[in-house]
Amino acid sequence: MDRPTLHPMAWIVWASSAGFVAFVTTDPVYLFLLWAVSWFVYAGHRVDAEHARSFRLFLTGAVVAVTLRTGLVFFGTVSAANTTFSFLEGLRLGTILVIFGTFNAVTDPFGLVRMAPRHFHEPALAAALALSIAPRTVAGVGRVRDAQRMRGIRIHGARALPALAVPVLERGMEEAHTLAESMDARGHGAGRRSRYRPQPWTGAAILIAVPAIAAAATFLAASVGGWAVLHPQTSPMVWPEADPLLLAAIGLLAVPGLVGRPER
Amino acid sequence: MPTVATTVLRRPVAAALVVVAAMILVTLPAVTGAAPACAATAGPHAALVIDTGAGVRSFCVALDTPSVSGIHLIELAGAQDRLSYGFGSGGQAVCRLAGVGPQGDDCFADYPQYWGYWHGDGHGGWTWSSTGAASARVGDGASDGWVWGSGDSGATHPKPPPSTIADVCVTAAAPAASPSPPRATPAAAVPSSGARFSASRAPTGPSDPGTTPSAKRSKEGIGKTSAPGGPPTAGALAAAPGPPPASAGPGPGLLVALVLGAALAGGGWLRMRTSRRRRSSG
Repeated sequence: MDRPTLHPMAWIVWASSAGFVAFVTTDPVYLFLLWAVSWFVYAGHRVDAEHARSFRLFLTGAVVAVTLRTGLVFFGTVSAANTTFSFLEGLRLGTILVIFGTFNAVTDPFGLVRMAPRHFHEPALAAALALSIAPRTVAGVGRVRDAQRMRGIRIHGARALPALAVPVLERGMEEAHTLAESMDARGHGAGRRSRYRPQPWTGAAILIAVPAIAAAATFLAASVGGWAVLHPQTSPMVWPEADPLLLAAIGLLAVPGLVGRPER
Repeated sequence: MPTVATTVLRRPVAAALVVVAAMILVTLPAVTGAAPACAATAGPHAALVIDTGAGVRSFCVALDTPSVSGIHLIELAGAQDRLSYGFGSGGQAVCRLAGVGPQGDDCFADYPQYWGYWHGDGHGGWTWSSTGAASARVGDGASDGWVWGSGDSGATHPKPPPSTIADVCVTAAAPAASPSPPRATPAAAVPSSGARFSASRAPTGPSDPGTTPSAKRSKEGIGKTSAPGGPPTAGALAAAPGPPPASAGPGPGLLVALVLGAALAGGGWLRMRTSRRRRSSG
């Protein structure tokens, strides 16, 4: 957390733009490219914190989502067209999960709270807690597991759940307490707006946000204007198309991966 | 010893992911199903085959976006060819087509009779649609079929008569207007095949082939004709890009995408390796 990260708002803009792009298309070309883009950005910007590990969790979740959605086809008529359709729907969902995983790994959720306007402080805090619940749980479980291992505790199966859940929950409570105290100490909640270490909009942050907005706008234009195929047809099946302009737009989403991360 | 924590944790996390996934899946089609309407261009066409049980009507529908939902295809057929229709369940389900089907919002009011939804497989056959018409995507060269009948699955519900986009969107020998003449030429020989279905059933609708003057049919753009001389429809449909792109190979854009994807993945991997090395050395 000490390492200065880029302005969180830049990452919000990036993630929502990339998520929007994934939302409006079922073309596997664009979706798979978004996976590559997410990986590239994650590789360049992951935070040195335990919650960055949650990228792997979201990646697993994305694969599970794709598999499950494709598996749903077996409840209906199984045909190549139906299977492909289901796969593409699942792929879109998986892509959104991967983008969210990247967002989680590259930014500090509590950094977001700091920027919230005073009146929206409490909702923002709730949102940050909700956003970080998965990564913090992953980190917490890792620590408890390490502790148990060192003490030679080996419990398997369902009985391991309470042994794991209780310390994880306790730790979560403690963290929330610490967070509340530290925020109080910095003037939050008292109605004062903290200017403690305000995060500047650096050139790098702008380089993340602006291309992302451009990419989302391009896909919005394609979706509304209908000048490019965003949903390849599956019956009869055709090769998905790759519009050069839309490829360039996805390339814009990869720009954060090229922008250097500010060093300590 | 990764067993305890990982196996125990993975299950609830996976369950939570499944719930989230299910929620998103339920909401996605509802949000994206409404295709934005925009200016029509002389471009993509899809076939809409409607079998009321008493007669078959086919429509060559000009799409206003590269792909539309099955619901919007019916709306387009209504706007272009005066197909009468009625939707239920908040516009998500098809109740009435060509004057057949229940009035009102409950599309299963006449159950076991209802409108079965089929997709053309591109070779004249039909497959039972696994999705509702609101979330199904219909693109250039695709065929949608609706059959009034009973049967809860593709195995028992009656199928539409075998037909392809080439049967419905009859393209005239107008190579100058057609973007791909090679496929348009064989299609021009087909029109009489459409008569096969219509002739075998009694005509029902007001604009059904055989009851309307051919000039009107031409204007409405109904592809099938019972008249052996078919061509009246040709003029209206000359702009239809006849070929379903099914046979077309991957475009050059795919190669570019592949290179881009490989570059991103490779670049990411390199970065991971260098940063890991830096971390372990520092």
